[in-house]
Amino acid sequence: MTVAPERTGAGRGAGPVPPPAGRPSWRDRLGRWDTRYTPYLVVAPFFLVFGVFGLYPLLYTAWVSLHDWQLIDGDQGFTGLANYTELLADENFWNALGNTLSLFLLSTIPQLLAALGLAALLDRGLRGRAFWRAGVLLPNVISVAAVALVFAQLFGRDFGIVNHLLGVVGIDPVDWRAETWASHLAISSMVMWRWTGYNALIFLAAMQSVPKDMYESAMLDGASRWRVFWSITVPSIRPTILFTVIVSTIGGMQLFVEPQLFDPGGTATGTGGDDRQFQTLVMYLYEKGFRLFDAGYSSAIAWVLFLLVLVVALVNFAVARRIASKG
Amino acid sequence: MSRIPVGRATAVAAVTMVATLVAACGGGGGGAGDDGKIKLTIGVFSDFGYAGLIKEYQQAHPTIEIEQRTVKMEQHHTQLATQLAGGRGAADIVAIEEGAIAQFRQSKDKFVNLADHGAKELEGQWAPWKWNQGTTDDGDFVLGLGTDMGSLALCYRRDLFQAAGLPTEREEVGKLWPTWEDYLKVADTFTAATPDKKFVDTAQNVYKAILDQTEEGYFAKADDSFIGDRNTKVEEAFELAATLGEKKQTGALASFSQDWNVALKQASFATTTCPAWALALIKAGAGDEAAGKWDVAAAPGGGGNWGGSFLAVPKQGEHTEEAYELAKWLTAPEQQKRIFKETGNLPSEPAAYQDPEVTATKNEYFNSAPVGEIFGNSAESLQPTYRGTKDSVVTPVFNNALSRVESGKQSTAEAFAQAVREARDAIK
Amino acid sequence: MAVVAPGETTREASREAPRRAPGKGSGRAPRGASRFSVAHAGPLSYALLVVVLLASVFPLYYSFLIASKDNSALGDAVPSLVPGGNLVENLTRVFDTVDFWLAMQNSLVVAGTVAISNVVLGTLAGFAFARLRFRGRNSLFLVVVGTSMVPTQLGVIPLYMLMSDLDWYGTLQAVVVPALIGAFSVFWMRQACEESVPYELVEAARVDGCNVLRTFWHVAFPAVRPQAAVMGMFTFMTAWNDFFWPLIVLDPNDSPTVQVALSTLASGYYTDYSLMLSGASLAVLPVVAIFVLLARQIVGGIMQGAVKG
Repeated sequence: MTVAPERTGAGRGAGPVPPPAGRPSWRDRLGRWDTRYTPYLVVAPFFLVFGVFGLYPLLYTAWVSLHDWQLIDGDQGFTGLANYTELLADENFWNALGNTLSLFLLSTIPQLLAALGLAALLDRGLRGRAFWRAGVLLPNVISVAAVALVFAQLFGRDFGIVNHLLGVVGIDPVDWRAETWASHLAISSMVMWRWTGYNALIFLAAMQSVPKDMYESAMLDGASRWRVFWSITVPSIRPTILFTVIVSTIGGMQLFVEPQLFDPGGTATGTGGDDRQFQTLVMYLYEKGFRLFDAGYSSAIAWVLFLLVLVVALVNFAVARRIASKG
Repeated sequence: MSRIPVGRATAVAAVTMVATLVAACGGGGGGAGDDGKIKLTIGVFSDFGYAGLIKEYQQAHPTIEIEQRTVKMEQHHTQLATQLAGGRGAADIVAIEEGAIAQFRQSKDKFVNLADHGAKELEGQWAPWKWNQGTTDDGDFVLGLGTDMGSLALCYRRDLFQAAGLPTEREEVGKLWPTWEDYLKVADTFTAATPDKKFVDTAQNVYKAILDQTEEGYFAKADDSFIGDRNTKVEEAFELAATLGEKKQTGALASFSQDWNVALKQASFATTTCPAWALALIKAGAGDEAAGKWDVAAAPGGGGNWGGSFLAVPKQGEHTEEAYELAKWLTAPEQQKRIFKETGNLPSEPAAYQDPEVTATKNEYFNSAPVGEIFGNSAESLQPTYRGTKDSVVTPVFNNALSRVESGKQSTAEAFAQAVREARDAIK
Repeated sequence: MAVVAPGETTREASREAPRRAPGKGSGRAPRGASRFSVAHAGPLSYALLVVVLLASVFPLYYSFLIASKDNSALGDAVPSLVPGGNLVENLTRVFDTVDFWLAMQNSLVVAGTVAISNVVLGTLAGFAFARLRFRGRNSLFLVVVGTSMVPTQLGVIPLYMLMSDLDWYGTLQAVVVPALIGAFSVFWMRQACEESVPYELVEAARVDGCNVLRTFWHVAFPAVRPQAAVMGMFTFMTAWNDFFWPLIVLDPNDSPTVQVALSTLASGYYTDYSLMLSGASLAVLPVVAIFVLLARQIVGGIMQGAVKG
């Protein structure tokens, strides 16, 4: 995340070859123009696309959130911050926020730990390493919708495979959608299944760039493999770990498809269980905006969510920076 | 439309620039036909049974080309809302389900008033309540023409009734439960005899069926105000249904979900409310091996309606006149009759549902039940409930409350109190 | 991608992956660690990996399993793990219900265009952020990172209105253009350039009189090709799997993508799971095929930073 420090050297905007005295040739002028403006030209497409399809909707949404705005009928009058004050007093909003955080923690922490372990496993001298690496990445290529469909079956209350297996070891069947903790667990498992392998490969890449002499000296000192892993490997890839934490935060705060499709009501009437026990913020946004047609309120949720993600990511960013500079 | 025109114009200009970065990326846009034909689109969900009719209409009208779009019901309504909001993209004719029409009635200025095309002359075709549901402004604004309806019956499993020592013939079964209180008594008898089977799939559908037999539900007919907290009918219906849940006589299943399918296949519940269109669902879920085991009886408390749709014409279409003509033709009795024969969707017009051909229809899978007659009768005695504009906002709140009772999280009283509170919040 | 395409895209979009610890400064490629392994794997390691692999594959197998059976077979109390004989029939029904070939073709056009464009534009921008000097570079890059925090469901309505104004409803460019270049690609390629394109080479090319674009084409691009391939693959998959936005803006008859066609399969009063998962299995095939064919390269690309000495 840290931006590389600029190198000293050739001055800003100046061509590498000093211009000859007198009237510069067209070539030089072209060269200077090239050095000065081409960088802007090549980063422009991103900002253009983002500006039109990202920033514009974002600002428009901010505008909408300050109104009583019905999805179909549009603007019903300016209301200032009314949507926001109502939101802050809305039990369902706080409930959704809590669920979002809980699901985020439940899926991220075990996921990253599992990914670390998996990376360590893949870091050993393996036969057919490409096969194993490709294998763990496989879940990442399946669309969320298909994943949700399959997991909904696996976690069926009466005849799902998971309950069947629990029954084999003598555990009573669990109503995966009715209980708060059970539903969070089931949804987190979906997220984990999809992303653990992916993160493991990122960790693996970082692990492989840890200088081997560090291991050698530790090994010479007779440290156990476990100790080497925790005292050398993990600290060395700490910035990468923190980075994945930030990235998972941004993704986790916007969790939507998995829990929405886990509700048997789906996108029609699904409110994340009969007591909103697994309704996330984006699900609430969807409910308000697309089911109840309250675009103004929905936009306010969107903006609060945006600010939340921003704050959480910035905090992570600051922490990551500090730790990285210490390391 | 353009609320911040300058911003929009800039954005459009910028996009056009970006677009030039990619050369042609194909894609067939809608719009006018290539060969001078008028192209009409019709947006539906599930199975309206229009495929054959469309072909026929095209043959009779060579200048018209019709395209049918089918998506899932909830998606259909969400998309329609987005398209109406965006002012573009909606089909020339759109289907709107009965549960959603109140919500769209609010945005009637996005639709063509079919009365302008002479729709009022057709009024007599429909059962009066069906016609009224599709109109607003005291009947001056005709929003949609009725397609099918979902008149209510009760499906039951003969073998499970037999095992519990209950009668199995549909007339006798119907006589077991003239009222919903009687239905609950049958439930007790059933549970006492066969405790490991559930009497009904879900309390939610029982609740909906009872509520739909009252004149007013959550909202007052007079002024559309919320009365769910003081209308005793609501509380009574809730209590009746919740009692089944408290006694664990329901399967606590989300209707038509995968778990529901599995439960059907496993024969783990004995009755379910069934509107005409649900027969196909039961058959699909229970599978061939259950042929003849399910049967159809009259519902407690008389008839009722559940579901059914309307065809409306959004204003944004280019060919609203032609669209109206097509909608008119598709909803005419002759066509409704043919759709019934093909898909089982029950006609909403007396001329169709009283037609001997329709009333004589039997459903083999359901032990050859005379479904035409049963549903037709149910439609006759039907007193439609008033649907408020925010009905679809409040309904899920009460359904969730029932589900909490079924799973043992709350008592009936607690759940109802919470539902009322949430409903008040939701309609603010 | 990060910015617009709503729905599942969000997660992918935010998975910007540094293949090397970020914040280690620029340019210097790590040394030494490449082929070294701490320890050799014992039987236990293989056993664990087999378990992981099975868990990875199982849901995929399960969807194929359901696709091979009759819908009512799902009601069996103890689900059998042996495939049924209805696969061909179910697949035939998929092709009868929707125009799956057209959908595949459209998805290929969409995902292919998006992938290529992201590779080209993302590499260019990444190269600029990593190896060119210009005023405001750091702040502009921070903006790129920041854009990935915009919740994507949020802008659907204004975006839809925009598409209406452009008359793009029901056309593929409504899906393609917003995804032409995403923060993910810029970030990923910047990281790749930092690792694999030495400053010295860039300087040398400039001294030789190469202009910026030539330098990019002859020096930078060849060096980051493997990483660019991986990134292209990821954007391809993301675009292929996206469904929230395409569902809203595409016409299911005229311009369906595979995911839109799948939703048409689910349009009945009841969900025919064998039909749907037959379609889903079919939709996954091209992606898995690409994945299997390129597995070595993709995995290698992820490792590129490490493997390069």
